[in-house]
Amino acid sequence: MDEGIDRRTFLKAGIAGFGGTVLASTGLLTWAPRSHAAVIAKTFYITEGFVTQADGVDVYFRGFSSSSTTLNVPGEQLIVQDGDTVRMTIVNTLGSSHSFVIDGLIDSGPIQGGQTKVVQFVASNPGSYLYHDGLNVPYNRLTGLHGGFAVMPAGSGNELYGGSPTFMQQYFWIFNDIDPAWNRAVQNGQLPTSPYKPRYFTINGLSGRPPGAAGNKNPMVDSMADPLTKLDGHIGDRTLVRCLNAGMVQNAIHPHANHMEWLTKNRRILPYVWEKDVIPLDGNGGAVDTIFPFDSPPDAWPPVTNQTLIQAENEGRHTAFPMHLHNEMTQTSGGGSYLFGALTDIYYHSK
Amino acid sequence: MMNNMNRRNSTVTTDVVTPATNQTTTAAPTASMGGGGMGGGGMGGGGMGMNNACYVSPIRPTEVPALDPNPDVVFNRSVDMNIPVVMDDGKTINMWGFANSLGGGMNGMGNGTFPSPPMRVRQGQIVHTRLNVGMMLYHTIHHHGIEPEYRSDGVGHISWDVQGTYTYQWRPMHAGTYFYHCHTNTVLHVEMGMYGTLIVDPPEGPGTAFSGGPSYDLEAIWAVDEIDSSWHNLDWTAGTCGGDVGLNDLNPDYFIINGIDGARSALSNPGVAVTMNRGQRLLVRYICAGYLPQTIRFGGLTAEVIASDGRPLPRSFQTGQLDAVSAERYDCIIQPTQSGTHTIKIDIKDWVTGAVLGTARTRVTVV
Repeated sequence: MDEGIDRRTFLKAGIAGFGGTVLASTGLLTWAPRSHAAVIAKTFYITEGFVTQADGVDVYFRGFSSSSTTLNVPGEQLIVQDGDTVRMTIVNTLGSSHSFVIDGLIDSGPIQGGQTKVVQFVASNPGSYLYHDGLNVPYNRLTGLHGGFAVMPAGSGNELYGGSPTFMQQYFWIFNDIDPAWNRAVQNGQLPTSPYKPRYFTINGLSGRPPGAAGNKNPMVDSMADPLTKLDGHIGDRTLVRCLNAGMVQNAIHPHANHMEWLTKNRRILPYVWEKDVIPLDGNGGAVDTIFPFDSPPDAWPPVTNQTLIQAENEGRHTAFPMHLHNEMTQTSGGGSYLFGALTDIYYHSK
Repeated sequence: MMNNMNRRNSTVTTDVVTPATNQTTTAAPTASMGGGGMGGGGMGGGGMGMNNACYVSPIRPTEVPALDPNPDVVFNRSVDMNIPVVMDDGKTINMWGFANSLGGGMNGMGNGTFPSPPMRVRQGQIVHTRLNVGMMLYHTIHHHGIEPEYRSDGVGHISWDVQGTYTYQWRPMHAGTYFYHCHTNTVLHVEMGMYGTLIVDPPEGPGTAFSGGPSYDLEAIWAVDEIDSSWHNLDWTAGTCGGDVGLNDLNPDYFIINGIDGARSALSNPGVAVTMNRGQRLLVRYICAGYLPQTIRFGGLTAEVIASDGRPLPRSFQTGQLDAVSAERYDCIIQPTQSGTHTIKIDIKDWVTGAVLGTARTRVTVV
C-alpha cells in the first residue's frame, strides 16, 4: 500500500520540500451563523502543475490555489453569508491572463500574467456557486480553475435559502471530467484540436482507489476516504450536498442507501421537492442542491437502527454505501479501471 | 515530488469543523483473486488467464445478515454470458444476463435472457434474491432504488462480489418502478445487458400505481438502452487490471427498448408496443436503462407524470416529453380520448453536446 506521500500532485515549477497541511479526520461540516455581516478576505494564487492520475499518467492542471507553492484543484471551498463583503485577492503567478468569476456575483475581468487584482462584492442570493475562470471558456475551467462557493442565508445555519428544508451539515461535490489533450493545449497556450474525449473523472479533484489499490484509504488520493467528500453521519443527520459540475458531461448522481431530496436546479429553487435516487447534473457549470437525509435505509430487513450500527461497529464492520455517477463511463480512469472514477462512500455511524 | 494540496484547509471563513465521532477504521476486504498484493492499476497478466481480475472483492462474507426463514418471495438468479440477440440489420450481438434459476453452476450454459427476467413484488414483502455465480467469475445483484442493509446492496467494494451462492434480503417499502443490475465492473456488465425490471406494487396489488395514487387498466414497461457493439467482445474483467479498453468512451450503434431493436422491431413487438382502447388508462413505466441522456417524446399523447424513482411526485404534471439521465425512472399515466396511432420516440443523446445519436421507437395504438 502506498504510504505516501501524497496525492501525487506537484507544481510544474515546484519548490522543493513543501509539505501539505493535513487536518486529521474532519467530520461533520457545520456552519455557525453570525448575526452581523462580516468582511471576508481571501487570497488565491493561480498556479499550475501536474496531478498523477490513477493509471500513473501525469496530467497538467491549473488551479486557484491557497498559496503560490501549491496547486489546488478544485480551489478551497468558500462559504460566506448573505450580506458579507467578500474581498478576493487574485495573484496570477502564470504568464497568461485569467479571471475570477462567480456568475451573478462577481467578474474580476482579465488579470494579466504576473499581475494581482483585488475585487470586492457583497454576497447575496443564498445558494451554491462555482467560481471559475471566465476566460478561454471552457478550457481554463476544465483545466482546474474552479471551486465551490456558497452563500448562506443571513443568520441561518441550517438552510440552503430562507425557508428551505433544513440540514445539519453540508458538503460540496464538485465534479470534473478531464481530457488530457485539452489540458495540454491550455498548457501550450493553444486551443484543443481534438474532439473532447474525457479520460478521467473526479469528485472534488479526487477519484476512487478501491480496496487493494495503491492509495486506498489515503484521503489525499482516495475520494472514498477524503473527509471533504465522503459523507459521515448518524441516522437523522440531514446533509446538504452542493453538487457543481465543472466538467462537460451530463451526470447522473446516484446515492445508495437513501433517496435524496432535490432542492434546486441550476440555482433555480424547484417548486416541489422530489425524492430521487438519481439526480441529473448538467454539464458545463450545472448545479443542483440536494439533501441526503441519512434516514435508516428504508428497505432493509431487519431494519437498520442505531443499535444495529453499534453492533456492527463492535464486530469491526462499517455500514457504508457508495455514491457514484450512473453514467458509468465516469467510474473509470484512462479507459478502464472501474472504481477509479468519480465516486465516494457514505458512512453510517452509531450515536 | 511534493504533496501540496491543501485540502484540509478548505471551507474558510467561519466554519466550525468538528471531529467525527465513532469514525471506524474500515476493515476492507482485500481485493483480487490470485493472492492480493495488487499494485495500483498496473497489474495485468496475473497468470490466471482471462478470468483474472484485480479489483473485485471476493472475500467470502464472514458475517452475513440473518436470513428470515420465511420470506414472502424468493427469486433465483444465475448468470448467462452467451445470449445472442439479433438486431434489425441482421447482425447478432452477444449479451449477458441473468437466468430465472440457480443454474447448475455452469456459466454461459443457462437460459438467461436479455433483459433479465423481471421481478415483481408487493410493498412490505420480505424478499430473497438468491444469486448463483459459477466458477471463475464474479457478479452481484444491486436492486437499483431499493435501499437495503449494506450487505444486501450488491456493491462489491463495500461488501463482496459473489462467487458461488449468496442471498440478498430486502423489504421494499415504496411502490414504484425500479430495476436490478449487476454491480461488478458495472460499466461493462450493465452495458452487456445484466439488468432486468423490478416493479413494487402497493399492498392493493397491480392496477394501482401506489397507495392513494392513480389506478391504471394496463401498463407498459419501457427500459430504453443503447448498445456499443464494440464493447461486446470484451472479457468480464476488461479494464479491471488497468489498461485502456475504451470504457470511457461509449459510441452506441443500436438503440433498444426492452432489448428489442428500436430501429424497427420495437414498433410492433408485443412486449413493447401497446394497443389500447379509448378511455383506458395506461401506466407507462419508463426506465432510462442506458448511460447516456435521453428524451422520450410521447407522439402527441399527453403523459401525466405521477412518480419518479419509486416515489410519488408531490404534484403530478402533464407533458408531451421528458428528459432523463441514466437510471432515472418516470411513471406516467396516459389516457387517450381519441383513436389513433402514436409513435413514441426516445432520443439517445451525446453526454457532452446533447446531439441525438440515435432514436428508439415504439408505438401506442388507440382503437
